[in-house]
Amino acid sequence: MTDILTLVFKTLTSRGELAAVDDGSLSAVAPARSALVVGERALSRTMLLLAAVTAASESGLRVFFLTQTQIQSLPVALHSRVPGLTPAALKKIKFCYPRTFEELLVQVAGLHESSHSPPSSPALIIVDGLECYLCSPAPCTSSRLQTSEQCSAAHLSALLCDTASFLTQVLEKHGSAHAPCRLITSYQPQRNSEQSGEASVDSVLDVLDRYFQVRCTLDQDRSYESTSGGLQQVWNIYLSSCLEVKETSCKKDDMESKEEQPVQEWRLLLSADGLMEFKLAQKH
Amino acid sequence: MHFSFLPSVAEQLFKDIQKIYQDTSQIPDDMLIALKFVFGTCALQALDLVDQRSVTCLSSPSGRRTFQVTGGSGRTYTCFVSCHFCPCPAFAYTVLRRNEGLLCKHLLAVYLSQAMGVTQQEAVSDQEMTTLLSTTTRTDH
Repeated sequence: MTDILTLVFKTLTSRGELAAVDDGSLSAVAPARSALVVGERALSRTMLLLAAVTAASESGLRVFFLTQTQIQSLPVALHSRVPGLTPAALKKIKFCYPRTFEELLVQVAGLHESSHSPPSSPALIIVDGLECYLCSPAPCTSSRLQTSEQCSAAHLSALLCDTASFLTQVLEKHGSAHAPCRLITSYQPQRNSEQSGEASVDSVLDVLDRYFQVRCTLDQDRSYESTSGGLQQVWNIYLSSCLEVKETSCKKDDMESKEEQPVQEWRLLLSADGLMEFKLAQKH
Repeated sequence: MHFSFLPSVAEQLFKDIQKIYQDTSQIPDDMLIALKFVFGTCALQALDLVDQRSVTCLSSPSGRRTFQVTGGSGRTYTCFVSCHFCPCPAFAYTVLRRNEGLLCKHLLAVYLSQAMGVTQQEAVSDQEMTTLLSTTTRTDH
């Protein structure tokens, strides 16, 4: 599903910058079906909405968008910049607002039932704000609670991936051009205030990384050059695919051998009036 | 191509087991040793579950499938194999938390049952399937 995110970035790239974007640089990250957007809540949500609208209007995909908080209006950036945005396209997006983790599981688990059979099977599933469903509001210090949160994260992630695989088979069986079924989720890491010294590890994020093929990291650029240009915010966006090779070993330290694939890097310029512009940053 | 969560050595091992079991209805010692080497202590426990025919593939009219494994104590666990999840304590602790194992014995039993062709089959309704997939706790019998 890096193709959807890349489509979002290209759609909101200025004409001058678009000429510099060649497909060779974009193919640095291998095509993947699932992505996890990690970063600040409001921006992730906007990115996911952009992905939903772009997928529905530009690619004609049916989208199933799940989030805890009702969406009141579409981001300003969408109105003038997505060429194919029409009411008919918006009808391809079904919004669902499960309030709890259990309700979310039921909604995803039920996607196979007859009401979602072709031609209404979604080809893109989006879950916004996983931390709202998975993490307790207070910092988690109990190891038992951490294990429980990890287990919930694994159950939800596995259910999402398994469901996307099933819907891919359904789409392919019916000869749909929209296969495979893609998956995008967002997660804002929790900061454990009890841990000091080195950066604390988010145990839920560790689990999520097992299931999603690509991570899209949003990192605000607070350097002088970025803040001095009169723009409201500048963000660095990193798309990286990780193939985890987990081998059994006696040593725990040898466990985490992640082979990182090349990174695709973008910069997002957010103006004071909410308009967004993406620029391809560099090749790796 | 599906994103694989198994290292290639494990995938190849299951293919080899499938082939030799089809021909001889047995798993030779060298493959048992390889299983134990790759998966650790849960290998023998998983083989015990396979011997007891503990793995069932559930399918519903929509075409959706999932696996249930009956553990030694009679508890059943609904597992995902396309992307590895089991609600048992060993998966939560050894695999997720400690990162010290690839699979729990239930997931390994599913792979072995499939390779050996000894998975039980059971039909459920679409609604029952939704309930099974979304239930957060294991089922006690």
